[in-house]
Amino acid sequence: MLAATDISNPGYSVLFALLLFIGASVWLGTLAQKAMEKKEFLKGFFLGNRGLGAWALALTATVQSGGTFMGFPALVYSHGWIVLLWIGSYMVVPLLSFAVVGKRLAQLSRMTDSFTVPDLLRERFADPRVGLISSIMIITFMSFTMFAQFKAGATIMKHAWPGSGVLALSEDYEPNAAEKAESKDGSASTSAKSASKPIDRKYYVGLVVFTVTVVGYTLIGGFLASVWTDLFQSVMMVIGVTILVCLAVPMAGGLEQATKTAIANTSPDIAFGPGYSTIGRDFLTPGLALSMFFIWIFGGFVSPASMVRVMAAESTEVMRKSICLLSCYNCLIYIPLVMTCIAARTMLPHLDKPDEVIPRMSMLVTEGLPFGPFISGLILAAPFGAIMASVSCFILVISSGLVQDIYVRFLHPAATEAQVRRATNVSMISVGLIAVIANLDPPQYLQALVVLSASGGGAAFTIPVLMACYWRRTTAAGMLAGMLVGFCFYFGLSVAGWIQNWASAAPEGSALAQSVIHFLGPDPKIGVPGLFRPYYILGIDPMVWSLFVSAIAGIGTSLVTKPPSEEHVSRFFDVAVAK
Amino acid sequence: MPDIQELPLLKSAKREAMVALGIWLAATIYSLGYCFQYGYGRDPESLTYVLGFPDWVFWGLVMPWGACTVLASVFAFCFMKDEELPQSVQ
Repeated sequence: MLAATDISNPGYSVLFALLLFIGASVWLGTLAQKAMEKKEFLKGFFLGNRGLGAWALALTATVQSGGTFMGFPALVYSHGWIVLLWIGSYMVVPLLSFAVVGKRLAQLSRMTDSFTVPDLLRERFADPRVGLISSIMIITFMSFTMFAQFKAGATIMKHAWPGSGVLALSEDYEPNAAEKAESKDGSASTSAKSASKPIDRKYYVGLVVFTVTVVGYTLIGGFLASVWTDLFQSVMMVIGVTILVCLAVPMAGGLEQATKTAIANTSPDIAFGPGYSTIGRDFLTPGLALSMFFIWIFGGFVSPASMVRVMAAESTEVMRKSICLLSCYNCLIYIPLVMTCIAARTMLPHLDKPDEVIPRMSMLVTEGLPFGPFISGLILAAPFGAIMASVSCFILVISSGLVQDIYVRFLHPAATEAQVRRATNVSMISVGLIAVIANLDPPQYLQALVVLSASGGGAAFTIPVLMACYWRRTTAAGMLAGMLVGFCFYFGLSVAGWIQNWASAAPEGSALAQSVIHFLGPDPKIGVPGLFRPYYILGIDPMVWSLFVSAIAGIGTSLVTKPPSEEHVSRFFDVAVAK
Repeated sequence: MPDIQELPLLKSAKREAMVALGIWLAATIYSLGYCFQYGYGRDPESLTYVLGFPDWVFWGLVMPWGACTVLASVFAFCFMKDEELPQSVQ
């Protein structure tokens, strides 16, 4: 039975909720524009005049992209309780995000009067190369991460269209059900052929609507618009998750019963490490669990997006409050999400696509409630909001890099404010256009670049940023070495993994594939499946190794190069006190 | 004659960074240690439940998660020092 024909089906309410989100974001964008008027353009637009309060900082500095909120529930559904260990280091992420480099970055960024990370590093070492290299790296990494978000945003819009895809279909939906149903009325020949085309058109419409909205409100309101919409969606997210867990767990007969039912429906593996798996891979071996406790921490606090927001914090008091707020927020998001997805194994024991667990659960548990479709629409709109918020943040960091670090620093140092403003508009619109073009027909290797840029950024920046903040002896050459070696090592291990994957999948007789496997070893059968699994030395993720290598390269190079001038370093480290 | 001293913010930031990294290290060792011991390779029959969570999830993850949240709040309100941030030059 198709529910798509029913006027009150979730499709309309999801579309309605999305439009509500879009409307609210544009409204926040115009508010933000008013808030930053009559201030210096660049600092106001890209840094909100350093006036972020505690709520804005806490809920926007480290919250992950929308993909996390769709991918994470799918992992729990597929592998079970062990995923709470996978995400376990989030218990200390808020503390580490603000307490390790937060205060010092805020101080350095004010001392150097800089509002982008490359600008800060450039001034700190008085070396344009450091600025240029870090700028190119940040722009590249963030671009790839952002392009994938566009696709996710467009896909959600496509599904929200009433009557298309799973979100609008009732529980007994199965792939091709629409075509099967129609073939019974004898109209199959025409509809089956055209079935793929309108869906694609919806994807393009979704892509364009998504891009115009996000680029639009970011262009209008700049940094503050980005932060405020992010805050708005974070609050919606926690409300959605709370409603969901309060309805889902009792429906499954309580948490203990939910686990027992999940075990009965799958296997005892779902309640233990290394996790339930239907494809013979160990999801979370002890080595990978250890890796995750490094990856979330050290990939998080130096991500350019979160460093920029820390730089925008109003005061250190704001940072302190943010630690507390974000700690509580994480508790309310991750543990309930895991509980919900364990309960999902009771109500929806065998989903073909685990990605759909949250959309389906939210429709299922709100069924029969007053305003049920509307509530589920809001829950479903939350990931969409998360995607919008992170894209808008990425657009800002990328265009601030293009404008400040490339245009103002290298191409046109004497630019007037009107020219800078025009350059900003041009760069943001071009970023949007490029993203649309890249997503018209995304190549498969895009996914590899996304994974690579997300963790590669952490591998490249963690150690250099720590050195820049706290170590007097750091030299510009040491910074460059730390960044480049960290990234290249990560890149090398990733490529080795892809080659290993290729060799494992190659036909038996291939001599080249045999020698590759002989050299690299067989597929270790750990982690998530996929073409772009990296190479694990000793079962540890490449990110951890890259951090060590980056530290050795950065510290070693600093020690063998000429120490920076005492006068320059003193500017950032010392204060003169009258005796 | 003025005396040259380390910036006060730098001093407190260093100390706070060390303590934060210490908390991270402790949380990592405890959580991973507990979960490796009781969450891996266990006889499914021996599983008990605490507040509905499997026992190793509760003691290895939920409990330290709560403890870290409390600790982070104590850190934020009782340990971390407020410092004046410099005004932007110009």
